[in-house]
Amino acid sequence: MSGIEKLFSGMRASSTGLAAERVRMDVIAENIANAQTTRTPEGGPYRRKIVRFEPLLLEAAGRPFETLGVRPSAVEADRLTPFGILHEPGHPDADARGFVRYPNVNTVMEMTDLITAMRAYEANLAVQQGFFQMAERALQLAR
Amino acid sequence: MEAIGRETELLFQLLRATSLRAQVIAGNVANQNTPGYTRRTVHFEEKLREALLAGRGGELGVEPEIALDKATPARPDGNNVTLEVELNAMRENRLLYEAYTTILGGHYELLRSSIKDGN
Repeated sequence: MSGIEKLFSGMRASSTGLAAERVRMDVIAENIANAQTTRTPEGGPYRRKIVRFEPLLLEAAGRPFETLGVRPSAVEADRLTPFGILHEPGHPDADARGFVRYPNVNTVMEMTDLITAMRAYEANLAVQQGFFQMAERALQLAR
Repeated sequence: MEAIGRETELLFQLLRATSLRAQVIAGNVANQNTPGYTRRTVHFEEKLREALLAGRGGELGVEPEIALDKATPARPDGNNVTLEVELNAMRENRLLYEAYTTILGGHYELLRSSIKDGN
């Protein structure tokens, strides 16, 4: 065997990267869409969401460093960044003193995150393309 | 015949190592935004060279090894993957793979023509 199965698991690793970055882009889109949402079913304004990534490891098989890619292990609410507070007495969600709490979403920050996610997506795609070319070469041997 | 057999075996090993390296690079790229991830590298050629210099055919037992790259400095989030480095490594690795498959193809071509000539 010349390790063609490694090429396939590499392709799959790239796919997990593509899927994970897509999840991140979806979450960023949700954050931006809700940048002005002052009321949510859970109460209070919308909280910015963050995706947590974790490597997919082969530790169980006794190969501690071998990665099979990445997985978005959790989507969590950002509880550290404070809400924005504006004085808008006429707003339906204003409190007794006329203050409205706005989501802790910073649109500029979300946009830069979106750009990193897009670049990462493209990089995974480029790597996957490389695998196709390698597999193509391996197939040529059989011709 | 034996010379060809031994050389193709070596080429197979090199192909195995480059395939594994491609997988490892893909894992690094997939984890470029995973906090605390340390990039992996594959050690093979240097181990093979040592075995070849030592002689006695020990090179056929050399296996590629995945190691953590702790030398590259990490970003504030603890991740030390650099996209440019990985993409370059991928390209270099792919060229090596193509070189090995080309040489291997040449061996098969040689075998084929010698079989034809025997007829």
